[in-house]
Amino acid sequence: MAPKLTPEVLSSLARRDLLRAAATGSVLSVLGGSYALAADDDPRTKEKRPDGRPRLPPGQRLISALKPMGGDPGDPSPASFKLKVHGEVAAPFELDFIGLLALPQTEIPLDVHCVTSWSAFDVLWSGVRVSLLAEKAKVKGDARHVIFEAANGYTANVRLAEALAPGVLVAHKANRKPLARAHGTPVRAVVPDLYFWKSAKWLTGIRFVKQDQPGYWETRGYHNHADPWLEERYG
Amino acid sequence: MAEPRRLLLRPWVRALHRDLGYLAVGLTLVYALSGLAVNHIADWDPNFQNFERTHQLGPLPGDDDAIARAVVEKLSIQEKPTEVYRASDDQLDVVFSKRTLHVNPATGQVIDEGQKPRFLVRVANWLHLNRGKKSWTYIADAYAAGLLFLALSGLFMIPGRKGLLGRGAIFVALGVAIPVAYVQLSGGPEAASSAKRPGR
Repeated sequence: MAPKLTPEVLSSLARRDLLRAAATGSVLSVLGGSYALAADDDPRTKEKRPDGRPRLPPGQRLISALKPMGGDPGDPSPASFKLKVHGEVAAPFELDFIGLLALPQTEIPLDVHCVTSWSAFDVLWSGVRVSLLAEKAKVKGDARHVIFEAANGYTANVRLAEALAPGVLVAHKANRKPLARAHGTPVRAVVPDLYFWKSAKWLTGIRFVKQDQPGYWETRGYHNHADPWLEERYG
Repeated sequence: MAEPRRLLLRPWVRALHRDLGYLAVGLTLVYALSGLAVNHIADWDPNFQNFERTHQLGPLPGDDDAIARAVVEKLSIQEKPTEVYRASDDQLDVVFSKRTLHVNPATGQVIDEGQKPRFLVRVANWLHLNRGKKSWTYIADAYAAGLLFLALSGLFMIPGRKGLLGRGAIFVALGVAIPVAYVQLSGGPEAASSAKRPGR
């Protein structure tokens, strides 16, 4: 049976790329897989960010939709969802899904960059800024890092200043649609200026810590910081 | 006078190599299949087939349970939902084991999305990545040690010109040269992580 692709991924399959996939992807096709290749010649790849850096980081290719990248799925139930904000904070708290939706919401287009070399531009994320959650939890002065905690023990570490940047979200929608299972429903982190593995799916907690604690991929050979513009892919 | 008995190692090596080789077949298939799958993770989801469909069902009146029942019926879904959850006025989630229906009761739009596990490959990946931990760590370690034995014992399987003294040596050298040359030519991990860093 042919694999099913989402409409977004299908739209990214240019004819030339499809032929290339047909030529090179026979093994994966046998396994029931599919290639989703880049959209070429998009003028946005030549743009600069306000900070002067190229919008498309080095070594990346632009695709037109988020790609599912696997992971050990968590509980997709919004009713069971709990987000624990804790660690080096004066006022730890826990949110359920309704509680998260009741906080001031942010809708913002963000670019994301996967360590496997694809980037997606202008994904419209909806959610709550991590900085707002930090403010609500009253983060202590000696906190230096944030650990995003997710299902099945997955963690990702981010420097505090980077985690509190305006674009860093606890997101529950992408492109105005509830997060799909492949993208960590009901809630995931979005840390747009670091490689996408830092944006933990199936988010369960945000822990503020004094000392850095390398996470799941960071302890498996990937870079501790993960800046796409410095190509910090591997440690 | 009788000749002293010679200790013949090669038959023992061959027998061990043979039996360990048989033993390794299953695990080799698991690791090789998963290796192929995960090596191309940028091109596909090696664990799941993901799907998303949008349905327009028209206005859906009633309370949450009534809406959920109507949607399930209209979409001819046989499975029983595990949860019906009202997230907001325009979002009612009907959750099943492997799929979720995100319903907008006012417009009748239903986003039907979910994942179908790739039966064999997902299990192979789970084993390969040692997601289960616990005793699999020991099995994987034993398998790795077994592969080392197979590689080393394989060197001494064949005597003479087809063995290490001839053809075998050429192939061994070639096999060693491939990763060495790749690291040399590519610059290795240092080049990948530091050469492109501006200002460093």
